Amino acid sequence: MSAQLIENMLQALVAGLLVGAIYGLMCVGLALIFGIMRVINFAQGDFMMLGMYAAFYLVLGLATQLGLTGGITPYIGILLTGPFLFVVGYAIHGFLISQVSGTRSARLEGEGHYAQLILTLGIALVIQNGALIAFGSQLISIRTPLSASAWTIPLLDGDVMLFVNKARGVAALISVATIVALTVLIGRSRLGKALRASADNPDAATFMGIDVARAHRVAFGLGVAVTAIAGGLLATNLPFHPFVGIDYVIVMYAGVVLGGMGSIGGAFWGGMTIGLVQQLSTLILPTQLQNTAIFVVFLLIVFFRPQGFFGRVAERT
Amino acid sequence: MTSRYDLTRRTLLGTAAASMALPGIVRAQNPTEVKVALLVPISGMYSRFGTVMRMGAEMALDHINAEGGVRSLGGAKLKLVVLDCGDTTEKAKNAAQRMVAQEPDIVAASGSYLSSFTLAVTEVTERAQLPVLTLSYSDLITARGFKYVFQTSATAASQAEQALPEILKLAETASGRKPQTVAIVTDNTGASVASVKPMREGLLQRLGLKLVVDETFTPPIADATPLIQKVRAARPDLFFFLPTVISDAKLVLEKMNEFGMGQGKVPTISFGIAIAMPDILNTVSADLLQGVLTCVGNWGVKGQEKLIAELKSRYNEPWMDQNAISTYGDMWIIKEALEKAGKADRVAVADALRNLDLGPSKYYPGGLTKFDAMGRRVGAGLTVVQWQNGVPYTVFPTELATAKPFWPKSS
Repeated sequence: MSAQLIENMLQALVAGLLVGAIYGLMCVGLALIFGIMRVINFAQGDFMMLGMYAAFYLVLGLATQLGLTGGITPYIGILLTGPFLFVVGYAIHGFLISQVSGTRSARLEGEGHYAQLILTLGIALVIQNGALIAFGSQLISIRTPLSASAWTIPLLDGDVMLFVNKARGVAALISVATIVALTVLIGRSRLGKALRASADNPDAATFMGIDVARAHRVAFGLGVAVTAIAGGLLATNLPFHPFVGIDYVIVMYAGVVLGGMGSIGGAFWGGMTIGLVQQLSTLILPTQLQNTAIFVVFLLIVFFRPQGFFGRVAERT
Repeated sequence: MTSRYDLTRRTLLGTAAASMALPGIVRAQNPTEVKVALLVPISGMYSRFGTVMRMGAEMALDHINAEGGVRSLGGAKLKLVVLDCGDTTEKAKNAAQRMVAQEPDIVAASGSYLSSFTLAVTEVTERAQLPVLTLSYSDLITARGFKYVFQTSATAASQAEQALPEILKLAETASGRKPQTVAIVTDNTGASVASVKPMREGLLQRLGLKLVVDETFTPPIADATPLIQKVRAARPDLFFFLPTVISDAKLVLEKMNEFGMGQGKVPTISFGIAIAMPDILNTVSADLLQGVLTCVGNWGVKGQEKLIAELKSRYNEPWMDQNAISTYGDMWIIKEALEKAGKADRVAVADALRNLDLGPSKYYPGGLTKFDAMGRRVGAGLTVVQWQNGVPYTVFPTELATAKPFWPKSS
């Protein structure tokens, strides 16, 4: 195998891992809402877009108001987006989503899924057009010099040179750290137990004294916050506009289904798989088919393992 | 019984009265305003381009109306109807259908930025016999035998034919060496595909260039690594990059820099406007753009300083790009066609456009303000724009240039 071929393969693998880590984080956000709470949320991409704008203005605020201009500033701003969007998600669930989900869904046709679909599509339209009015149509991105520079790793006596984009590298590390923190929160904390109990069996959770409605609001807020952080991380490399969310909603749903409904870790690996397939497919297929490759692999996985990577057989796609 | 005298007198009186009333009747038939449409993306990932086209149209209509409107229609004012063709060809086609159904008194339209959109839109407007002026590049737009579409830009194939020899001449003069190899990375939108078609089909060979990378992608891309890795492996003398989305331009330019090929190390030549939009400076450092050339159908040029200044002050735009100036010109052409047609009727306006001859072009580079049998502007030229210290200046054609070109220093 020639050094050039090895370099091409390794470079595509690195790109796939870095992109996949951010996709994974996005998918984890949706997994909390769709995979666990079974709320269909077509506004998730637009919450991600709000996260991008929130991160942009927080970074701008940190730079202009507090004079923070170092390389770490964008990432502080992006992490601060989490709590901000948590409040937004918590409030939207309280006012709107709760009307068509949780205990109220039992009274609605299709367990409330039709109503959720229409409501969240409506929310998506309001957010998109509201953002267009508020922020304009100009493309912006979170500027960092890291996005145009790379760590270079020479391999095979320098015959192979591997480039790891610094902004994507940092974003991937933050993605993994966020998922670890979320897993600890869900798995170990009292709040996490309440969330899991409310998702598994709301009636039993109510009898155990858990405020199920509040737990659902918290889960929705957490899902929005996590996806918003992923959006902020994506925005260090990718310019965005008020309609950017549409491009990523399908990636998120595909990732959650691939990983297995109800599994947070699975959603991350689902997103990672999408990133890897997207980038590695270019080694053998024309680049313009990279998104087609994602859905071919998606269909194959769903065909041979309908429950996804980590889903239970009872929860087939 | 009516005598011959009485009858004559009455006839005379009637005729006199009718003669006195006639100008009034004619005046009453003239509309007070005439609707012209702008069918462009106002939402979605192409919304920025449509927004700038709207600026050009608004400026033109204000100028036309301030100068007395359409004189042959008794000074009727032009009224702009803006329709959003969204971010997909399907939405663009739906918007065109809405336009012809809901606004039957529109006499002409301008649109729709992306060639793919224009191709879809004109399928509808052709059936409705509504003339459409377009700045889109694809040769296919005016190669389908349509009678109601008029292309003001040079077609994509023509632009490639005109631009490449000039760029090679510049490279050879500046570096003392003729480029030998070229990499093409293009998106798969109509204009980009049309631009690279003649290159693939013999133009590069005729110019002595060897194509070493030929990659096509679907916009928007998530990461440019696979594309630029192939360019890095081939190390071409020239890099032809054809995006229509600003985010793709950013990802590719930054990846070029990351892989040690940016800032002129591999000279980058683009086709189209995406790489020279003001928004790109919100996302990419000006250093990475320095020296990048792009071949565009139209741009703010020498002699348009007043218009450029107005655009800057009125809309806070840093420079006048193709979308603003071409749409501005389109509105003036529609006005002149209305003057010639003498009535606010779309078929008459289309007929007037076919026979229009306003002499040397005022708002488009090169050629005449006259359309050939296919609907293409006669002798349409192009502009080559180069990023110099954070501003994209027109560097070709020389007589319209606002700055002198330079060749980026290769390492």
